[in-house]
Amino acid sequence: MPRNPIRDEIAIVGLGSTGFSRDSGGRSSKALACDAAIRAIRDAGLEAKDIDGIVGANEPGGPNPNQMTAALGLPQVTHFSSPTPVAVFALVDAMNALFSGSCDTVLLYYAYQRLPWNSRSAAKDPFRRIYPMGAIPAPEENNPSAAYAAWASRYIHEYDAPREDFGRVALNMRANARHNPLAVMKAPLTMEGYLQARMIREPLCMLDMDVPVDGADAFVLTTTERAKAITRNPVVIHAATVGLVDKNDEDQLPNLRRHGQHVVVESLKAKSDIWLSDVDLFFPYDGFSIITLGWIENFGWCKPGGAGRFLEEHWDDAAGSVRINGRIPINPHGGSLSEGATRGSGHLREAVMQLRGDAGARQVANARTALIGCGGFFFNSQGAILQRL
Amino acid sequence: MTIDDAALVERFPYLRIDHDTKHHFRGWLDERLLINRCDDCGRFHHPPKPVCPSCWSASLAPTRVSGRGVIHLTMLLHQGPPAPGVDYAKGPHPVVSVDLEEQEGLRYTSTVIDCPLEEVRIGLPVELTWIDRFGAPFPVFRPRKDA
Repeated sequence: MPRNPIRDEIAIVGLGSTGFSRDSGGRSSKALACDAAIRAIRDAGLEAKDIDGIVGANEPGGPNPNQMTAALGLPQVTHFSSPTPVAVFALVDAMNALFSGSCDTVLLYYAYQRLPWNSRSAAKDPFRRIYPMGAIPAPEENNPSAAYAAWASRYIHEYDAPREDFGRVALNMRANARHNPLAVMKAPLTMEGYLQARMIREPLCMLDMDVPVDGADAFVLTTTERAKAITRNPVVIHAATVGLVDKNDEDQLPNLRRHGQHVVVESLKAKSDIWLSDVDLFFPYDGFSIITLGWIENFGWCKPGGAGRFLEEHWDDAAGSVRINGRIPINPHGGSLSEGATRGSGHLREAVMQLRGDAGARQVANARTALIGCGGFFFNSQGAILQRL
Repeated sequence: MTIDDAALVERFPYLRIDHDTKHHFRGWLDERLLINRCDDCGRFHHPPKPVCPSCWSASLAPTRVSGRGVIHLTMLLHQGPPAPGVDYAKGPHPVVSVDLEEQEGLRYTSTVIDCPLEEVRIGLPVELTWIDRFGAPFPVFRPRKDA
């Protein structure tokens, strides 16, 4: 049994989001981050002077923690850091800083902006031209993340998986996003529409890949002890982990049954009292649809190669999306595919909103626990389990 | 032919070369595919690392491999970074990761030529050949003639 002394000791007490769009209306990434941060601090009932830790995901063009500390006028900070994406790296850093006593209250923020090389409209913004892409990679280079399409080809080969398996991931996210005011992609999507979408890196098409957006999410975290004093509805982090294997160069993974997600699942399961039969909400990452199929299988909802069939069997025709066992939604906010490419902060925010009972039309009745599988196969696999106290 | 590091960088302006990968890319100039092999335990690894990940020996020999193997992963790029001879408007550009015959799971990724797109499939036996890219040799695969 791995040690997990931090279990349930850190709570999320504040949330703020700008919502996501393909045009931030002339606001900088720093402006979006400040907007989300102020909302989150106010949501926690706190002020600038209460924040003594600041953790911000190191997103291209995003503000770093010292810039945010200056912009928000945080008078004194004793922990700050800038972990690499995706979302749970920064969450784990914030948790550990609080648990160790480096600080007492953390502002955790994630700010995203469309970049000139992944958005045609962004390329027209003169203020975004300063972000260099660096050397143009050769078309044959795998890094970073190009090989998801390659491993999707392997998945199709090994399991004889039809494109509809991937399409169900996209359809689920789109149907869910339609009920989320923060989401960017709300046009109805049918399987026919999915199958006709433009191929980008075959076998993956445009709808298998997340949507670049402008926007920001922010969270306030503190110790559970303190959380109980300042809020009526703290959500605690029961377990969190990241996972990596040695052969993680994108084309060198041993196979689809041994990569970062497997380390995450083993670690999380060992750290947690809560597992699939106790879960009310499931948040598998969906930066690429193949990653979602991987999380479904690797968490053990079904056997390897069975995710497409699992989605079909648990499909709720009335909702147009999945309800596992008639009950558990998958990414009720619409995920990265349809809410927008939040690199997992959207999954984390929606988990907290649901566990607080604040998810409006999307609310899952009496939701108490959420399972999050963040990141993909190679260099950013992570997981977390949250619960309402 | 051995050229110095500055000249090597000039020959491959589109690559990020460092002291760990310089031997590999020097091999390209002579149309030799060099994969790091450990002098102590005999294991290959790729991409090049400063030590053997199996036994931590720093005694690594960039070793010429046959370039024969079997396609393990495929992608067809319908859009992507520009490169000479790659015209996405004319059709997708195939990218394959090949299991090299020297060691199980040792893979090399490049494009495949002289092969209709519908035949670019997992399991296809391929061999190494070289094309010109920006005036320097570039390793690619083609279907194996003896297969």
